[in-house]
Amino acid sequence: MSISEQLKKEFSTFTFVLIAVAIVLNIVVGQLVSLLKLPVFLDSIGTVLVGVLAGPWAGGLAGLLTNLIWGVISSPVAAAFAPVAMVIGIAAGLCARYGLFRTWWLAIVSGVIITVFNSIVAVPIRLYMFGGITGSGADFFTAYMLALGNDLFGSVVVMVFTSNLLDKVVTALIAWGVVKAMPGRTTARFPGVRSVS
Amino acid sequence: MKGTSPGMTLFVEGRSFVHALNPLTKLAWVLLAGALAYGAPVPSSAPEARWLVCAALLALDGCLLLSAGAAPRAWGLVWRIMFPLALFMLPIHGLLYPGNRTVVWAWQGITVHREGLVFAMTVLLQVAVLLSASLLFVLCTHPADMVTAVTRAGGAPKLAFLVGSPLLMLPAMRARAATVQAAQRARGLDSEGNIFKRAKGLVPLVKPFLLGAIMDIEQRAVALEVRGFNSRSPRTAWREVADSPAQRWARRAMLAVCLGVAVYWIVVKTGLGA
Repeated sequence: MSISEQLKKEFSTFTFVLIAVAIVLNIVVGQLVSLLKLPVFLDSIGTVLVGVLAGPWAGGLAGLLTNLIWGVISSPVAAAFAPVAMVIGIAAGLCARYGLFRTWWLAIVSGVIITVFNSIVAVPIRLYMFGGITGSGADFFTAYMLALGNDLFGSVVVMVFTSNLLDKVVTALIAWGVVKAMPGRTTARFPGVRSVS
Repeated sequence: MKGTSPGMTLFVEGRSFVHALNPLTKLAWVLLAGALAYGAPVPSSAPEARWLVCAALLALDGCLLLSAGAAPRAWGLVWRIMFPLALFMLPIHGLLYPGNRTVVWAWQGITVHREGLVFAMTVLLQVAVLLSASLLFVLCTHPADMVTAVTRAGGAPKLAFLVGSPLLMLPAMRARAATVQAAQRARGLDSEGNIFKRAKGLVPLVKPFLLGAIMDIEQRAVALEVRGFNSRSPRTAWREVADSPAQRWARRAMLAVCLGVAVYWIVVKTGLGA
């Protein structure tokens, strides 16, 4: 299948609405989860869902736009990480396409793969744009790694990977659970579902 | 987009020169300011020269924000973002930056180094430039203008839908999230126990919300298709966004400079020029 055919298949009206809803989910779910005071943000749950249901390009677009809109409504810093969000969606979509969202344990593997791609893009942004520090609690970890004598690059790589691993694995698991719980009437509308069920 | 309350976004109402600029012109400026702050050629022997570049850009952004009447809002936001950043960055790099050589201050085995502080200051200034330039865009562009500009630029009304509709959906979804929160709490959701007990609440909290939102998609999609979402005929906009030949040329020039900086940066970093 050529890329343009693939794009046409991925971007139905349904997909467009899914992306719009997913963007809102990304922004709102954090509010829901904050009640539990857990070390996860789930701020890419919508992006991962789009990746699984509608494919990598749609997932990437959902991630990219989420952070750009985030930049407009609350903090411009989020916009700087838009490429990271985009890669999360693409990685989730590719994982789903190759059948990595079929079972719960494969979903965990997907979570790890997403974290790897996430880190590859996030590390240079953190390093060159923010000097490795972004003013959050995770900075203590970077500082600790530096104090152990690691270089800045290594410290940031380890920090980004570990601080995202749990979040992305939980995100992938919940996305898997939601897709499994969706009635077939709804899932049948999306192009990516065949490789999931 | 008529129904969007400006209070939803950071937009500050106004009639200034900056407000009247085309959103794309402002976006091009964000790109240019970032490119200059991070990549403008300065002698490597004097990293402080970059501070001058950044200070000039900051001053320019400050003046524009003042003239647009958005300066108080911008000042508050810059502080809220830059202060925690500085609070972490100055000590961490001052104490631990791997390139540290020159001691500035030492007390009881704690030594602050010059290289780390210079590095941290440079990064802070660069982030401040990028932040103030993007605030210029965010504070002085009405969300509806942004959506219209996107439609006009790419001829892509569907992309404009993706930018605009989340802004409209957000308040309703936030309310729904609050309802789910309250409902599960009323059913005895444990939000105070140990981490495992709290983690148990994750699925009952998130899953109904996600499923509910996805179930809505069908209705929304049907509503859109009925209203000609897939129509190929050109759309007319209720809202007109100003543009001028001068702005179009300015945008091209700004993008050209960005490209130049990027090429210079690649040549220097990869040593192709040497």
